[in-house]
Amino acid sequence: MSAGADSVEHVIERWGRERVLALAPDASSRPAAAEVAGPAKWRSTGCDGCAVWGEFQGGGRSSYRVSVDLSEPAFRCPCPSRKAPCKHALGLLLLWSDGDVAEDAPPAPVAEWLARHRDRTVRAPDGRAAGGEAPVRSPKTAEQRERRVAAGLEELDRWLRDQVAQGLAHADRAPGTVWDDVARRLVDAQAGALASQVRELGSLPADGRLERLLEEYSLLRLLVTAFRRRDELPEPLRATVRSRVGFTVSQEEVLAGAKVRDRWYVAGCRDVEQDRLIARRVWLRGQDTGRSALVLSFAAPGRALDASLAVGDTVDAELAFYPGALPLRALVAARHAAPVRRPPRGTTVAGLLREHADALARDPWLERWPAVLAGVRPARDDAGRPYLVDADGAALPLRRADVWRLCSVSGGRPFTVSGEWSPRGLVPLSAWQEEEGAVVL
Amino acid sequence: VSAWSEHVTAALLGTQRRPVPPLDEAPAGPAEPAARLLDQAALLTVRRRAGWRPVTAEPVAPAPAESAPLVPSDAAERLRRILSGEHARVLAEWLDAAARTGRRVPPRLLPELLHKGRSDRALRPSIARAAGRRGVWLAMRNVDWAYLVVASGGADVEDPEVWQTGTRAQRVAHLLRLRATDPTAARVTLSSTWAREPAPERARFLAAFERGLSLADEDFLEAALDDRGLEVRRIAADLLARLLGSAYAWRMTDRARACLRPEAGSPGGPKQAVTPLPDQALARPPVRIVAHPPEHHDEAMLRDGIPYHATERVGNRAGWLREILARTPLTTWTTLFGLPPARIAALPIATDGSGAPPDEHGRRDVHLGWARAAARQRDAAWARALLRGDDVLGDVPALVGLLDALPAGEREDATAEAVPRIEDHTDRLTVLERVPAPWAGALADVVIAALDAAVAGSTAGRFPADLCRLSGERLDPATAPRLDELAGRHPGYGPLSELAEVLRFRHDMLAELR
Repeated sequence: MSAGADSVEHVIERWGRERVLALAPDASSRPAAAEVAGPAKWRSTGCDGCAVWGEFQGGGRSSYRVSVDLSEPAFRCPCPSRKAPCKHALGLLLLWSDGDVAEDAPPAPVAEWLARHRDRTVRAPDGRAAGGEAPVRSPKTAEQRERRVAAGLEELDRWLRDQVAQGLAHADRAPGTVWDDVARRLVDAQAGALASQVRELGSLPADGRLERLLEEYSLLRLLVTAFRRRDELPEPLRATVRSRVGFTVSQEEVLAGAKVRDRWYVAGCRDVEQDRLIARRVWLRGQDTGRSALVLSFAAPGRALDASLAVGDTVDAELAFYPGALPLRALVAARHAAPVRRPPRGTTVAGLLREHADALARDPWLERWPAVLAGVRPARDDAGRPYLVDADGAALPLRRADVWRLCSVSGGRPFTVSGEWSPRGLVPLSAWQEEEGAVVL
Repeated sequence: VSAWSEHVTAALLGTQRRPVPPLDEAPAGPAEPAARLLDQAALLTVRRRAGWRPVTAEPVAPAPAESAPLVPSDAAERLRRILSGEHARVLAEWLDAAARTGRRVPPRLLPELLHKGRSDRALRPSIARAAGRRGVWLAMRNVDWAYLVVASGGADVEDPEVWQTGTRAQRVAHLLRLRATDPTAARVTLSSTWAREPAPERARFLAAFERGLSLADEDFLEAALDDRGLEVRRIAADLLARLLGSAYAWRMTDRARACLRPEAGSPGGPKQAVTPLPDQALARPPVRIVAHPPEHHDEAMLRDGIPYHATERVGNRAGWLREILARTPLTTWTTLFGLPPARIAALPIATDGSGAPPDEHGRRDVHLGWARAAARQRDAAWARALLRGDDVLGDVPALVGLLDALPAGEREDATAEAVPRIEDHTDRLTVLERVPAPWAGALADVVIAALDAAVAGSTAGRFPADLCRLSGERLDPATAPRLDELAGRHPGYGPLSELAEVLRFRHDMLAELR
């Protein structure tokens, strides 16, 4: 696996349909794209190592010159759709994926667009970094921000104590907007991460809500206390506390730090809406180090999300971890070879729980932990709720109503399931089974 | 009461009303009760999360081992695309092509596939063939997919116990299976409970006799002609009409011979009706047929399945004539006229009385009657003869019946020959609907020509689009280049370029499943 392919690849190999369709901004885009992907509907198509272009001939008068820059990817299409990529760009990529686009030199307008567009990208790196405020510039502004955050957290602490003093039953009758108000004040105090955490309290499920509220309030106060004592904390824990509050670390800083090379199994991918953005969580699991990693990416609704890590692949890569007591979030710093497909290494249920307990000891605010469970079978309890049970008979609840695909793939026999674990249940994201290989659940 | 629930209760009511529960392991904290409660709760929360213990649950019983291999991965990927809505109508063809080579659907796609079969009954047999044992295993766990357990039958339907205890669908499946292997045993099984089955059940069970039908069934069917259930009587009469050499066939032959009479021509002289002796060939070949539709209807006719009021929009006498001819062995006519079917079908026909001029309606009644008989008796020679004339073209069921009666190798060319002669567009589509894929050779030529004409001409309505849709499902994918060419000549007509695309899609699909 240590083939010295350290050079960054500029020539991009042809993508599979799966990967193209992963760019679709919503479910309806997929069939729409497949529909416009017929070779008869395209003229003057071409591609080179890093771009694809062509002219779409719709029914009737419409005709669009479409270009795709594969490196980002970025799209250009003059159609009125506000989706990015639109069905024409996706359709063109599908056509290319099927091998129906011949190699060619880009015509002048395409070459110009590519040049202009790349120029812009270089000047504004990471324009879509998430939750990202502009990096702090001067020591004075930094100090100012530190003070504002501290004041905001003191106010949050007062509010939390007040809630508990009056009783949560009282809060339960309050409208859902109370958390929005608190969150807004935290935004003003520049504690962004904390603000979105508070806002989400408004959408807790009614079942067991008060208990959850007490859990969340107590952990929020723990964070306030930790921030108050930040100067006494060891450096890694201080980094954890700061990032949970909303201080960001630039990608450059992360990439400048130490890196971990491993064969990373892409265990699962989950898209959730967060602060009017779509956040994509990709969970990785090192096959040699046994380490877990989380690669986050964000996009506005209707925009393409990063699709560079395909679930089920094992990627020989170097990851740079964000600093913290429990380094979990990471960036892909370098890739060393094309991804391969091979069975992942998994743990037992007991192994997962031990890992999760260790992780909580280092980061008590941890919300979820990646699970790769080997040799588990689908199971049901007396009420018919779905579980996974391992060879030792230890069972975990599944937190998903539709488990039919999981059930079908296993056929009632042991297989490997990956997902997001929290004590509320395992959200299954992918499976590995001998006959079918990787399956997205 | 656990420390945690004590803390929840206190938080619920508020520390203004409730004291903070003690927690020994908590480090010395602030004096303010609310702050202390929150700090202790944080400790308990993390402890509870980190100390989560596994539970027990009953594993799902494993699925039986498969004998069929999976389809190749590119075929599986295409199935995924079809299931997600891309050219959704080719799903049945994909499934049948996979089943033909003894392969099955990958389990990850089964839930979506079984879901399709819920709303689309026509898909169910194809699903049952390609879903493997895993499909049935899965369907047994979800009531929405129970149809698959029934459709695939399996060992449990063969169990004789099913006849006594099964659901209606299972019992029909049991009987059908038994008819295919041992028709006598099936008849004995049905007789054992016949008297106590309700009429709708009797009708459904009797319909199973279509399989493995023989003269051994005659007595049972003859008795069923006196059944209380109307539908049972109808099915019994229809089945008897297929049994050449039965008493029923002889009764019909007697009625039929009174209806059609050959008239021998004599050179120069007036035409002369001949009344031949039974089973005796004519001395001189007949030159025309005189039809005498029955004057009266009687109980015996009713018992044999000839209703008083015809189901079609024709006069009663014409209706009776059609029914009688449709239920009479066709050998009656070759014997009576001493001619092969092709020559008989070419004879002019007059109604009521010699000397009357040949008439269109009489001819149509006689030919339709013969056509239905040919379909029932699967007589290829008669089917060929009747397809040569125009009388059957206007009646889609009769035409389709004749095409079905032809040997498989001839069917396509015969359809190609017949379709351009059908004037009504809806009828054309209905006939084409009945011809299974793939359409190649002469039929493909005819369909492509029809498409060209329909798109180029100002044909009103949905016909061109419907023909495109059907052709997309049925035309041999090898015709794709010709369709591309056609689409090129009619740019801007969407359904045609879609048709070319579907064909290419199917071409790739079938290549993957070869």
